[in-house]
Parts: sequence; structure tokens; C-alpha cells
Amino acid sequence: MIDVQNLCKDYVLKAKEPGLRGAIRGLVRPEHKKIHAVSDLSFHIDDGEIVGFIGPNGAGKSTTIKMMSGILTPTKGCVLIDGRDISKHRKEVVRNIGVVFGQRSQLNWDLRLGESFELLKHIYQINQSDYDRTIDDLDSILGIREIIDKPVRQMSLGQRMKGDLVASMLHSPGVLFLDEPTIGLDVSAKYALRKFIKEINRTRRTTVILTTHDLGDIQELCERLIIINHGVMMEDGRLSEIVDRIAPYKTLVVEYYDESAPEHDRCEMTEHSGNVAKYRFIKKEVTAAEIIADLSRIKTIKDVSMEEAGIDDIIKIAYGQSG
Amino acid sequence: MKKYLYVVKTQIIKSLTYEFNVYGNIIMQTIIMITSAYFWRALYQGRGMVGDVDADSMLTYVVMSSLLSVLLITNVERRIQMSVQKGTVATDLMKPINIFGVYFAEDIGNIAALLFQNVLPILLIGSLMIKVPVIADIRDLPLFILSVFASFLINWLIAALFGMIAFSAVNIDALIQVKKHLLRLLSGSIIPIWFFPPGISKILESLPFVYIYQLPLSIYIGRGDRMQYVSQMRIQFVWLVILLGAFFFAQSRVTRKVMVQGG
Repeated sequence: MIDVQNLCKDYVLKAKEPGLRGAIRGLVRPEHKKIHAVSDLSFHIDDGEIVGFIGPNGAGKSTTIKMMSGILTPTKGCVLIDGRDISKHRKEVVRNIGVVFGQRSQLNWDLRLGESFELLKHIYQINQSDYDRTIDDLDSILGIREIIDKPVRQMSLGQRMKGDLVASMLHSPGVLFLDEPTIGLDVSAKYALRKFIKEINRTRRTTVILTTHDLGDIQELCERLIIINHGVMMEDGRLSEIVDRIAPYKTLVVEYYDESAPEHDRCEMTEHSGNVAKYRFIKKEVTAAEIIADLSRIKTIKDVSMEEAGIDDIIKIAYGQSG
Repeated sequence: MKKYLYVVKTQIIKSLTYEFNVYGNIIMQTIIMITSAYFWRALYQGRGMVGDVDADSMLTYVVMSSLLSVLLITNVERRIQMSVQKGTVATDLMKPINIFGVYFAEDIGNIAALLFQNVLPILLIGSLMIKVPVIADIRDLPLFILSVFASFLINWLIAALFGMIAFSAVNIDALIQVKKHLLRLLSGSIIPIWFFPPGISKILESLPFVYIYQLPLSIYIGRGDRMQYVSQMRIQFVWLVILLGAFFFAQSRVTRKVMVQGG
């Protein structure tokens, strides 16, 4: 269980002016600029949830994840994991947390993958039988045994990501933070990774919090979305609810045998060209089946199809709301 | 403790992967040894004793200095710089292990691997081409070992404190080079500071650097008596305590800084 209360993070940046003159001035008399990376975020995550953190680049997702996983100290507010404040009880809380940053590997470049795991086993003081069980478990999902004797420096990005995921799960944490885990992966590696997340969530009830720019990840994994932009919460809710709220309409495309098209009183004709007419309706008020039934009573219909707002449209709209 | 020993073990495996790297150091130390030997032989021509030391002892000093330099190789500065640049410090800080403990264990592992790959070849080359380095008085051996141990710690702490600059400066490549050569000069590893003008050598004696190379080497070649060794080792110990204090202070500051600014 994770409780985030009024989380804020400010950074102080050196304001650099362009050019040589700016660089010299920056050395002599640096000017400081305060940046609000995250402001006043509050939410609650239950055990066993998979939550997607969505937002454009620089929205404050990574900063939030870092604060939630105890890497970064918040300027204001707090993160409670199982009722304990992570910045006060860092050492104990962190034992129950696994973190993977897609762009930074925690594996040891010069070692075989298995040696990196052994090292982590000693660092977290995992006993041999637990360790073997976890490896067996994760092997059945990811096929990690095939690459366990390979040096990390010779691995492909997909293999390395598999290694990183296993490394983060070795000490069986209850909460797993993933920062852009699918970045740069090919389709099959993405598929394996999503399967892995679903499996550990189902069998171990691991709470998963991930940031991603991949719509497939969102669609397949996230029951719940938290959308942030400019460090401010934009949306928080189930994926389907957010879709309904932001885009409550669907569009029905009807093709007739000639160029005349009838109107319908419970929807709006948005487009009419040639034999094709488009009707936009509010999902809650009327169903597509009713409209088709009504229209076919007036005129013979040749073909129908549906246009629905995709997740990318939804996200574009959600990002856009803040301007 | 067991986890740190495992880090040492892993590091030994790691150092053995790049076998080729070790030859570089052997060649470099050979060059330094032979040049210094020629230098001292030329300087001593016709003179029995210079600065209470005869030519023969000076050659022992040269060979032992090269051997000692293998023990005093540190990687902690570069290691800190790498993890700051790659941004892995933050995640390393999350693990239930002290990162500076890990860096220390890694350096121990490196040196353990080098003991076989470097110390033996350098000893062999030095003995064949210059002179077999025999300790002046075998009864001083425990004192020598103790002072080497302390000089190892002093050297590592200076390197670690130095490496911590990387947390604010990020790139300290040039600084690492400056530090390396300054240490060479000030510690008496190539030219013992008793050859320096008295004023300068007085100042250097109050700094920690001479206690890294010159003190254990003086004990080894028998320059001075046991009373002098003990009183100098007392200063060495004081420096060790001061540097330890500075290290723990800096460590807590640096960790807090990472936690506030991010990795």
C-alpha cells in the first residue's frame, strides 16, 4: 500500500546563458533558477495494483518515481509505503522495493549475468533456497537461464532488460518501480516484458508502478492511469473511465446505396460526402445498434463501421489540457 | 561483512577478465625502476653516503617503491566519477550496503588480483636487473608491515576524499592526473624528500603524503633507528585518524547531497 501526500520537488538549476560570454559569466557569477519539477501530488495505490504513470517528456514522472522509491528526498510532502515514511525509515522500506530504470542498467558490465545475481544475493542476504526458487520462477516466465552465463557486455538490449528485471525481483519486493522499461525494445522483447509484469502481479501480488510512452504497455498492463504534466496531476482513474470522460463519444460511419442520407435525432451528422455519412453520438445516451436499427428503417444500409477515439488521442487531449 | 568479502571475490573475477591491462603497469614500473636506478648510480658516483643512505640502500628503495606502488593503486576516484556520470549512484544507494564499503572492497579485490599478476613479475625484474631488495634489519619487518598497512589506508582515504569531488564536479579526469603526480612527488616515491631543501622537507613531513611511501621504505632500508620509526608512525597514525574523520564527515554530506539533487 502506497500513500503519496502533497508531494513536491523543486530543483535549483544554474541558469546558463548562451555563448562564450555566458559560459564565463556562469563561472564567475552563476545565477540560480528554481524549477518546480513536481508540485502537490497526492494519490493512493493499493496492494496488487498495476499503475501507469503517463506524461510527456519532462513532466516529472521520473522525479516522482525516484521520490516514491526513496532515491530522492522530496522538498515537501511524504511517501508512505505500508504506513512508513520512506525518507525516515529508508533502510527498512527500501528492502521491500525493486527498481528498474530502462535507461540505466544496474547489472555489472564485466561480469556474467549470473555473477551479478550472486552479488545481489549476498547484498540482500537472500538464502539459497529462496534464491533458487525465485530464479526458477522467473526463468519460467523470461527464460533467463539461457543467458545467465553470458557476460552482460555482450547482451542485446532486450536480454539486458530481462536481466535487470530479474535482478530487481531477486529479493522478492512487494513493490516494483519501472521507469520506461520497454524503451528501445523490439516487439518480442516488449511482449516478454509485459507477460513478466502480468505474471508477477498475478502470482506474487507485486504492486507495479511504471512509466511509459508505449501505448501498448498502457493498453495491456495498466488498470489504472495517473497522467501528469508539468509536475501536476491531470487525471487519475481507470483507463476506461478516463477514456469515457475525455472522449465520451463514438462515431458511426454508414455507407448507403445513393447520395442522400437521413438525419437522426439522437446523434449528430458530422460529415456527409458521397454515399458515406458519419454520425457522432454520446456513448451513454444511445447505442450504435439503436441508431443502425432506426436508420435502416428509413433507408437501406450497405455497410457500417465504427470510429473510436484511440488511447493516443486521449493522451494527447489530456496532455493538452494544461496548455 | 560477508557481502563485502563477496564484492572482493567478484572484483577479482572482474580484474582477471582484462588480462592485458596488467602488462601495462609492469612495463611502466620497469621503466621507472631502471631510470631511477641509473639516476641514483650516476648521482652516487664516488660518494659513499648521501643523506645517511648508501647507493646500495637507495637501489633497494627504488625496487621496493615500485612494489609498494602496486599495493597503492586505487580505482575509487574513477569509480565514483563513473557512477556519477552514468547516474547509477542513486540506485546503488538504495541497496542495503554501504557504497563506499563496496568501493573499498573493490579496490582490495583489484589489488589481490594484482599481487600475483604484478608484484611477482616486478620483484623478479627488479631483482634481476637492479638488485635483490633485502630488508636492512629483519627485526623491523613487523613495523614495516604495520606501516604499509597504515599507508595503504591513508592512500585510499585520500583517493576516496578526492573522488568525492566528482559528486559536484562530475568530470575529474584532469584532477585525478594532477593528484597522482603530485602524490608521486610529495610522498618520496621517486625522490625521497630528504634530498629536498630542509625547509621544504620540514613542511612535507607535516603533511600525510610522506607517510604513504617514504616512511615504510625508510624502515625497510634501515634509515634511522627504531625510536625514529615509532615516533614517525605516531604521526602516520594521527593522519590516519584525521583522514578517517574527514572521510566519514564527507561521506554523510555527499550521500545527503545525492538524495536531494538526484543521481
